[in-house]
Amino acid sequence: MEMIPLPQISVGAIAPELTLVAAAMIILMLEVFTISKGRDNLAYVALAAVGVAGYLVIESLGSPMTTFSKMYVVDDFSGFIKLVCLLGAGMTILMSVKYTRDEGIDGGEYYSLLLFATTGMFFMVSGADLITIFLGLETMSISLYALAGYARGRLASNEASIKYFILGALSSAFMLYGMSMIYGAAGVTNLHEIARIIGQNKENIHLVMLGGGLVLIGFAFKISAVPFHMWTPDVYQGAPTPITAFMSAGPKAAAFAAFIRVFSDALISLQYQWWIIVWILAVLTMTVGNLIALSQENIKRMFAYSSIAHAGYILVGFTAGGKLGESAMLFYLLIYTFMNIGAFAIVAIVGQQGEERTSVSDFAGLGYRHPLLGLAMVALLFSLAGIPPTAGFWGKYYLFTAALDQGYVWLAILAALNSVIAVFYYLRVIVVMYMREEKGESLPQNAFPASIVVVILVAIYGSVLLGITPGGYLALAASSSLAH
Amino acid sequence: MGLDNIWWVPILPLIGALMNGLFGYRMGKVWTTFWALGTTGLSFAIALLAFGNLVAMPASERVFEKVLFTWVQAGSFTAEAGIQIDPLSGLFMLIVTGVGFLIHVYSVGYMGEEDAYPRYFSYLNLFMFSMLLLVMGNNFLLMFIGWEGVGLCSYLLIGYYYKKDSAADAGKKAFIMNRIGDFGFLLGIMWIFWTLGSIDYTTVFAAAPHSEELMRHTRWGGLTVVTLITLFLFVGATGKSAQIPLYTWLPDAMEGPTPVSALIHAATMVTAGVYMVARCNVLFNMAPVTMVVVAAVGALTAIFAATMGLFQNDIKRVLAYSTVSQLGYMFLACGVGAYVAAVFHVMTHAFFKACLFLGSGSVIHGMSGEQDMRQMGGLKEKMPHTHLTFLISTLAIAGIPIFAGFFSKDEILLSAFMGHTPGHIFYWLLATIAAFVTAFYMFRLYYMTFTGELRAEDHHVRDHVHESPFVMTIPLMILAFLATVGGFLGLPTALVHLPHVLSDFLAPVLNPVAAGAHGEVAEGGHHVSWQMELGFMAFSVAVATLGIFTARYFYKVKPEAAEELARKEGLVHTIYVTVQNKYYVDEIYDYLFTNPIVVFSRKALWKFFDVKIVDGTVNGVANWTMGISGVFRQTETGRVRNYATVMAAGCLVLIWAWIMYL
Amino acid sequence: MEMAIFLVMGALSVGFSLVMILARKPVTSAMSLVAVMFCLAVLFALQSAHLIAILQILVYAGAIMVLFLFVIMLLNLREKEGEESHTKGYGQIFGGAIAFTILIVAVGSTSMSGSPAGLSSDRFGTTAEVGKILFTKYILPFEITSVLLLAALVGAVALVKLRMR
Repeated sequence: MEMIPLPQISVGAIAPELTLVAAAMIILMLEVFTISKGRDNLAYVALAAVGVAGYLVIESLGSPMTTFSKMYVVDDFSGFIKLVCLLGAGMTILMSVKYTRDEGIDGGEYYSLLLFATTGMFFMVSGADLITIFLGLETMSISLYALAGYARGRLASNEASIKYFILGALSSAFMLYGMSMIYGAAGVTNLHEIARIIGQNKENIHLVMLGGGLVLIGFAFKISAVPFHMWTPDVYQGAPTPITAFMSAGPKAAAFAAFIRVFSDALISLQYQWWIIVWILAVLTMTVGNLIALSQENIKRMFAYSSIAHAGYILVGFTAGGKLGESAMLFYLLIYTFMNIGAFAIVAIVGQQGEERTSVSDFAGLGYRHPLLGLAMVALLFSLAGIPPTAGFWGKYYLFTAALDQGYVWLAILAALNSVIAVFYYLRVIVVMYMREEKGESLPQNAFPASIVVVILVAIYGSVLLGITPGGYLALAASSSLAH
Repeated sequence: MGLDNIWWVPILPLIGALMNGLFGYRMGKVWTTFWALGTTGLSFAIALLAFGNLVAMPASERVFEKVLFTWVQAGSFTAEAGIQIDPLSGLFMLIVTGVGFLIHVYSVGYMGEEDAYPRYFSYLNLFMFSMLLLVMGNNFLLMFIGWEGVGLCSYLLIGYYYKKDSAADAGKKAFIMNRIGDFGFLLGIMWIFWTLGSIDYTTVFAAAPHSEELMRHTRWGGLTVVTLITLFLFVGATGKSAQIPLYTWLPDAMEGPTPVSALIHAATMVTAGVYMVARCNVLFNMAPVTMVVVAAVGALTAIFAATMGLFQNDIKRVLAYSTVSQLGYMFLACGVGAYVAAVFHVMTHAFFKACLFLGSGSVIHGMSGEQDMRQMGGLKEKMPHTHLTFLISTLAIAGIPIFAGFFSKDEILLSAFMGHTPGHIFYWLLATIAAFVTAFYMFRLYYMTFTGELRAEDHHVRDHVHESPFVMTIPLMILAFLATVGGFLGLPTALVHLPHVLSDFLAPVLNPVAAGAHGEVAEGGHHVSWQMELGFMAFSVAVATLGIFTARYFYKVKPEAAEELARKEGLVHTIYVTVQNKYYVDEIYDYLFTNPIVVFSRKALWKFFDVKIVDGTVNGVANWTMGISGVFRQTETGRVRNYATVMAAGCLVLIWAWIMYL
Repeated sequence: MEMAIFLVMGALSVGFSLVMILARKPVTSAMSLVAVMFCLAVLFALQSAHLIAILQILVYAGAIMVLFLFVIMLLNLREKEGEESHTKGYGQIFGGAIAFTILIVAVGSTSMSGSPAGLSSDRFGTTAEVGKILFTKYILPFEITSVLLLAALVGAVALVKLRMR
């Protein structure tokens, strides 16, 4: 019997992932043994796991390492994105407490799927190998397909799930095909090795380009870049609101992180080929997202298009690249998580049971019936629109400056014009909230449980206070970028 | 109080805004008034003391910068939040706090009956805070934040009567047009940071003259980088300061309460563009092309807006067009490099235009909310204080000597005439014609409102005409006093051999255009002979007087002539009347001058240019955008098959492009 | 010889795939899929990936497809009547033709040279070798796959449970 040499394995490196998976399984077990009254507590178990994972990620900052046969990498870049994902997951869990109660959802599978999705994101952002990245992406996606269909009894939710699944499978097929082409050309799946081999050997460059293009499409689908965005509005509208909030933040951040890692690591020698494609994607995504958002009546759908547009802004930073571009993207992903989840939390509150009030006109007079809630919504919308001194402004400013810095003047101009268009539809919600005749009755007292208030407060912190003193977070984002 | 505590000046109004915004409805009117007036009053007092300290310093040391905290520190990007007080920002600070305080006092009387009294004052205080941030910040980003802040407050205050659809729409229009300008401004700031590596005024203005990158010619028509930067900045200024083509929001903004129009849409916010251009004079001086654009836009706005104001009947709309026109003068001054004259006019304009707006508010108050001048008349006896102060301000804006407006406007005209900017004589001509038109329509306003018979039909209105309370008239008197003496700060040196106080004071900050390069400085008339100066003055006065007497003739001596003019249009008819009529000269005016202007103003400018072209373009862009939005919306079919087809098509296009071109 | 088998099996798998998509009866589709799996298994075997070839038949053709057939029988799915026809006019055909051309050109324009992967050893593709590599070099992906499958399982159960209420 020959001995099998074990590669170097560092279990400590994947401690956050292990925490999340373990918690997910514990929750599954707990659900079986708890009576339905105590099931709110499952949320707090999940929250605790998120907290522990967050602590472990913070501990790992500043000490980069590569392990598991160079398939898994821990660095500040992955740490930053993981924290963003955890922030999104934590806020979603808090939002879900009331939602699961209202809709009669048993928490067990719900929260464990949330944690599985987060684990998938972790493997995506830490993957230093095409295989790890793809498996992480699939873990995340499959959990999300199920979560999107969780709103029992609403046909739209089932529809969202199926649509997301079919189109997601299609995009995964594109991505896998592309990865196999890159493997065919380079003979390896490790990102660094790919970069080294295709840097030296230009013979198979066309195959790498074709493969890279297909991989790009796969990522473009996940970040919902135009024209691979079509699923977004239907799925965002149909999915349960907390899940919509979740999907709009963490998975996007993770997909962007993997996108950056593959393209500015493995395929960096093709940069002069792919920047023009990303440039076009960025412009299309911003413009189409903003233009369609203008004519939306359903607020979840409007936010879906707005999130498409925001992906476009982030692509502006991607086009710019370099340290400035990357740190601008990281910062934007962070604040975007704060403000978007916060806005969805308010949508969830106004929507009430069964999500019956998700049209823009349902917000009429909200600013007078619930002044504080209205004020919070105004702050979040201003941040999304990028009006100073909110954090959203800093995010956009940073992104556009990065584009200018690299000489993409037209891109910066188009992006700035787009941010002007975007004001129209955010402003429309504010106008409806404050300047339309009040109709409808006040929300019931139980619409504001402490859990969701915490979410909104965190969101306000992230989009308003962080806008007044963004320095620390900007510095953190700058020190976390891959490029130096 | 030293300059160290200067940051209280902006913070105090913020405290007032928060107090009234959070607790206003609970603590009652008296306390609301206390917080609103107390904070702004104290802020004004501190500003006054600080300004005194500043003046007491030696001229060369009059720049005080206090960094409050490091705002952003990320990589190469650093921004420090701080306050910078120098002669320019000090002067603006004083205008904002002073006029702002007076208008707060006035508002106590004017808005006293409103239910949403605390909301009004919290917005107004928030506006003061933003405006002070705009002028007192030590870097471009703080200015931008203030810039957005004042736009927001303006939006909130225009839409104050939000239940009126027109008010809500006007607010939205103002906000969106301002955003278009802001986007240019933001790009300008980003570009400044990109080329000079800083957004701090001191650093940027010190580095700019030596920067080769700024003088680099770009691909865009060979314009230099600094030209493009300043053009972007100027786009911002046209939005905020209501210049062609982004001016239409200002007349609509009159939907807001009158004190708001006085403070935001006359005295302070709309002059932010002028402040910005003056602040960046180093950059603008480096960009001759931009200077021509600034001067041309200013001169054209001055004349267009003035003619548009000719036959408006809403008292506030006349004043709104006049504000646009006066702002045009200020930009004309900037464009010919006479920044001191521009700032001087900002100051005098703040006094007399605030007074005019508050006076019109007093009239509207007395007329039970009526704004149509055709319903007014004969208010001279019924509202003596308002009448007197209004007359003084009208004389000031018309440019009659000893009143403030005369000196500043005269300086602008002289600078335009003596300037170096290409086409300056043409601009001077436009501005002079505009001066005539201004004198005419302002006195038309005066005569229609205060002289003759009260024309209101509603007897309730007739019976209730009354003078406003002292809380409203005292601010009027103070402003009228300032509108009288304010001009003495900038007496023409060529004439009186006294120092041009303002020019000397502002000299360290404002560099006259290309001083030394052209060997001659028109600024302040240092190189202008007294004969020429005197000749200019006489000419200006003659023009203004002509305007006044024309108005007097039509609206006081022979009001029916004006009515006839209003009724009869068309060429043949006019000739017929001219032959018949014994007022031969007037009919020539009618035919040659007034009637075309009536038609031009009412039909062409207001109806067509304003409503069709500019509004049309703005609405058109919106409609067009919505139209495209609708087309794109067709893609939302909800069918997975279609979605997958689009994805596949996108994929194929990408691959195809990749193979063909890369 | 290898080339001949590759061409025949490749053509067959494409053909059966088309039948699978175009067939009107669900059972025909399912059976075509089984045929595709077999063709693929042969292709794997040609590449010396014996374990994968066997698994392809055992797991996909055997287990999964049997489940599919059971489901079809239980649900009693028949030929859909009155549905829109499968041929969707010339637009689709034209679009498909363009897509096909572009793909052909794309693949044709990418030159492959050498055999960078090659066979690492003569035991390549054997169960022992695959097992070894799975538990050493690819241990992490292997474990992630288990999480992935667990997530899929939980998700499927959760959705079905929701609908069963």
